[in-house]
Amino acid sequence: MQKIPLLHAKAEMTLAKDVFRGNSPVGFPLCGKGTKLTEDLIARFEGMDVKTVYVEGHPVWEEGERSVNDLLHDLDCRFSKTLQNPLNALLYDTYKAYLTNLMEDNSDRQAK
Amino acid sequence: MTDKRSKLRKIIMDTRTLPTLPSVINKLNSLSENEKSSIQEMAKIVSSDQVLSARILRLANSPSYGFYRVSTISNAMILLGVNVVKSLALSSSIFAIMEKDSVGLWEHSLAVGTVANLIARKLGLPECEEIATAGLLHDIGKVIISIKCRDAEKDIVRLVHEKRVYTMEAEREIIDTDHAEVGGWLSKSWFLPDKLSEPIAFHHDVAGSENHRIKTAVVHIADVLICAGGFGNSGETFVPPVQKIAWDTLKLNEQILAELVNEAEDKLVEVKNFCLEMMGD
Repeated sequence: MQKIPLLHAKAEMTLAKDVFRGNSPVGFPLCGKGTKLTEDLIARFEGMDVKTVYVEGHPVWEEGERSVNDLLHDLDCRFSKTLQNPLNALLYDTYKAYLTNLMEDNSDRQAK
Repeated sequence: MTDKRSKLRKIIMDTRTLPTLPSVINKLNSLSENEKSSIQEMAKIVSSDQVLSARILRLANSPSYGFYRVSTISNAMILLGVNVVKSLALSSSIFAIMEKDSVGLWEHSLAVGTVANLIARKLGLPECEEIATAGLLHDIGKVIISIKCRDAEKDIVRLVHEKRVYTMEAEREIIDTDHAEVGGWLSKSWFLPDKLSEPIAFHHDVAGSENHRIKTAVVHIADVLICAGGFGNSGETFVPPVQKIAWDTLKLNEQILAELVNEAEDKLVEVKNFCLEMMGD
């Protein structure tokens, strides 16, 4: 799942979360998760002040965005001083799991 | 207090060379002390300064608060509270300096404000807006050190890289104090309420916060999470140690932490977009 600015949304992408007017977390959803985006739908979201949408996979690869392996390497460096602290070790494992999930999302995308 | 530190305190707190405070602050202070004055009256005072109003509204619409549609100062006062708007007004010149000269620190501060708000809401804590504001302001001491001790700042940065130490350790070695203490001095001289000054002064030493330990713990955890995720640039190379007292105070556990990391990373997309929009203005 990737959260992208509406500007980057394209037809054929699949919504991974419900979309609400003005990105407000309350109220009735404009469109449900699992819906395939169309040009019309994206234009309608624009008119309803939707700024970002969640889509399945990781379809948008922004310029300068780093690979998950690079991100994991940076994570190791950032934690190199405090891994002996049990709570930091837990935090490290949590971030590593988060990044590894991202990597799985990306390899799904490549396989497709 | 050592001689060096007390001299430095005098230099740092010399109001003649501190970033200027908006002139409406005094009027706002006297109005907010008067129980009979209305939010509309206070909003009118702030709105008379257009530059200040624009800065406050930009912050009020930042992901740190999560409202997005605050279009007037009186709305900001109703949604965020008079104290928060006053604190944003007081610190607006510091944020202006950060936006211009320390973009990385500006991004880090916005992110800590946003995640502090997220943690506070997740744990069902009261005064989420104050906690978000404390997160936004937690590193103001770094800006003051950068303005007042430019040469020392270069030595601090050099030491951080050469000795692989935390900014705080380098600050203590070079200027005999640190950004948390300096932030605490500044917030006292601005008469910020304790619920803001304590998290600023003790975000690296949660045990030192006596009256607002929960708020301080939230800001500490938010700061650590943002450093762990590598968002923005607070000047730290390494993730600071998570303080057990903060973990215990907030009754965190492995599951809550995992949820927080996922939700925080999600929110940071908004912070990134917000920063990009601001840079584009």
